[in-house]
Amino acid sequence: MKKKLKKDTMWAYVFILVPLCTFTIFTLYPVVSAAITSFQEYKPMGSEWVGLDNYVHTLKNDLFYKALWNTFVYAIITVPVSMLLSFSISIMILPYRKKIQTVFKAAYYLPAIASGVALSFVWKWIYDPMSTGLLNSVLGAFGVPNQNWLGSGNTAMASLIIMAVFAGLGQNVIIYTAALLGVDSTYYEAADIDGATFWQKVRYIVWPLVKPTTVFLAITGVINGLQSFQNAYLMTGGGPDNATTMAGLLIFNRAFKYFEYGEACAQALLLAAIIAVFSIFQFRLNSADVEY
Amino acid sequence: MKAKKMMALLLTAAMGMSALTGCGGGNGKESEEGKGADKKGKDVVTALLPPVSATYQDKITEYVKAFNEEHPDVEIEVTTASWEDTTQKLDVQVNAGSPPDIAFIGSDGVTKYLDMGMAVDISQYLSEEQMKDFDENVLGYFKNGDGLYGLPAYCEVQCIGGNREFLEKAGIDWKSVQQNGWTYDEFREAIKKGVVEENGATKTYGFLFACSGVTAKDYFSIFVKNAGFPSPFNEDLKYTYTDPKMVDFLEDLRAMIDDGSMPKELGAIDAGKRWNMMLTGQTMITGKGLSSFERSAANNNEMLKNGDADAVEGSIPVDYIVLPVPVFEGGTQNAYGAVDGYICLTGEKKPDEEHLKNVAEAAYYLASAERAAETCQELYLKPICESGRTAYEALPPIENKNEDNTKTVESLTKQIVPARPDIPAELGAKAIKIEDEVIVPKFQGLLAGEVTPEEMHQAIVDAAKEVFGEDGYVAE
Repeated sequence: MKKKLKKDTMWAYVFILVPLCTFTIFTLYPVVSAAITSFQEYKPMGSEWVGLDNYVHTLKNDLFYKALWNTFVYAIITVPVSMLLSFSISIMILPYRKKIQTVFKAAYYLPAIASGVALSFVWKWIYDPMSTGLLNSVLGAFGVPNQNWLGSGNTAMASLIIMAVFAGLGQNVIIYTAALLGVDSTYYEAADIDGATFWQKVRYIVWPLVKPTTVFLAITGVINGLQSFQNAYLMTGGGPDNATTMAGLLIFNRAFKYFEYGEACAQALLLAAIIAVFSIFQFRLNSADVEY
Repeated sequence: MKAKKMMALLLTAAMGMSALTGCGGGNGKESEEGKGADKKGKDVVTALLPPVSATYQDKITEYVKAFNEEHPDVEIEVTTASWEDTTQKLDVQVNAGSPPDIAFIGSDGVTKYLDMGMAVDISQYLSEEQMKDFDENVLGYFKNGDGLYGLPAYCEVQCIGGNREFLEKAGIDWKSVQQNGWTYDEFREAIKKGVVEENGATKTYGFLFACSGVTAKDYFSIFVKNAGFPSPFNEDLKYTYTDPKMVDFLEDLRAMIDDGSMPKELGAIDAGKRWNMMLTGQTMITGKGLSSFERSAANNNEMLKNGDADAVEGSIPVDYIVLPVPVFEGGTQNAYGAVDGYICLTGEKKPDEEHLKNVAEAAYYLASAERAAETCQELYLKPICESGRTAYEALPPIENKNEDNTKTVESLTKQIVPARPDIPAELGAKAIKIEDEVIVPKFQGLLAGEVTPEEMHQAIVDAAKEVFGEDGYVAE
């Protein structure tokens, strides 16, 4: 018995070793390497140790704060709007038969499987600033003049947020629908007997029971939102006047445009620290009455 | 049970290995052979090349074959990639410390690689005759200090271009403009005349420049050369864009939008959109304009004539006319030349002198004679080296080429702003950073009407003060 246990333990370690190696190579090593680089002026032919210079320079840079602000605005609006919409859609498609549910889920999930570049082409046509653009031609029918959606500081961020909300809706719809299907029908039956209205059922049955899903989506959504890069890079390049420069784009430019890897790593680590603090705070705030 | 465990372990290991396999990539061959290592007793010179012209990547095989036959001890090994991939691949290889020996880049990238210590001074490996083959002002774009870090393939004049029919309708003597240039005031009046209104909306704009995202940089960089700012630095190496006359220049650019001659949505119009607007008759003049746009317009005209479905939807026949950029008050007639060519690089594995000599020889081969002639002809340009010009004469001429355009481009090429190899790489890199982080974003705001010329100028002054210090920029 003891021998078998020892053998099983050995196998357990062997199995753990494989993901541990993968984690070490692809996660731990890059993080440690980035931390070291953040104290250096990186040069391919030999880096120089510069102490805290990269952090000091980052913290003195107004653009870093502007990018952080833009990123927070983007994440804080995108995540709740996307969750609210997907929650509403999930409730609406739940009463349908399974086949019809699948059609809706597939339709909403479709943008998630399309490449970001392909999506950006479609959204650029939607946001075309001339009267031929989809959105402008629709608004034009109501007498609204052409809007410079991506070219004006007043509308560029909102345009990216709308794009992010619709592009990311599918995943949330699928997760919420799965969570809603997990709610025992006896709760609804009991509520019906008590004469509960639709809104009362949503408020007192559905919402508390899907709260673990909501917490999960909120935390992962905020993390993804704070790391956002693609939409700004493809749609606006961060402009106009840095109105859509996100922290991710700033780090990308620092590293791959100016080859200032040291400062880029310092910025990335600062962003990671902010995301970690934000996630812990959010987790504690939302998960007080959640049972997993 | 044991077999199951073994199977599970094997599958897990295979999964892990398959993930790791991706890390290998195409560099395995290079790492085995090493830089300049012998391959069948030959010195291998590696080159990373984009599609410089439409048929360049097809022809490169023949070029390389001919070189390899001429040089039995040397072999050029070419990697081809798209323009985007070339930049990305090159940057990855440079940062890994193992770049190709030769790469095709824009000359504005020389300072970047020089600053990283990766560019090789090839002046010591080329003969006087080889260096004298190139036009001195164009060769200067690959120089920094006393060093020569590559060889130019061509110089593309970046100007503006118009629709002949619309120009004539607006009463613009385009031939005179091609020969004598025009002032900002003349240009402003001309583009006002080019505006066509229909049902209360603008059907045709007088002028349109692609300004979406980073393309706004082109508009600023090309026009600023004729506003008394041929370079971001003066002869004392003081930053010049802080000069108060910058405000006048910015006001002039803004005025063209306020006049209604340019669309107010300019900041969101990308290069593809503005060319589409040119071909569909929505603008009289467009920028930036390249010589090869004449061919592009001619091809579309041909498709329209033949009823080809590939013609741009809603397009009209356009006779493309090359036009110079107007001269602003206080400026002189200049031309902005994009000089691209072959930079020579080195990596962590320091190559020997013999290898570097072969690299310089290969770069000269690619940049000169028939290679230069054929590439330039495809791009509607004249070669910028004597051997290329000689070979160009022997090529069959381009059919139906607009001779007025050819002469204008030749004349503008002579007006190219002289290269500034005296600007240290570090200083040049700082100026590029100000341009990217302050000028372009503020300029986008200016085009959107959300930043005033004074605010933009002040932002440039603030940035210059921080980067170059109180004495490092022009205050008056």
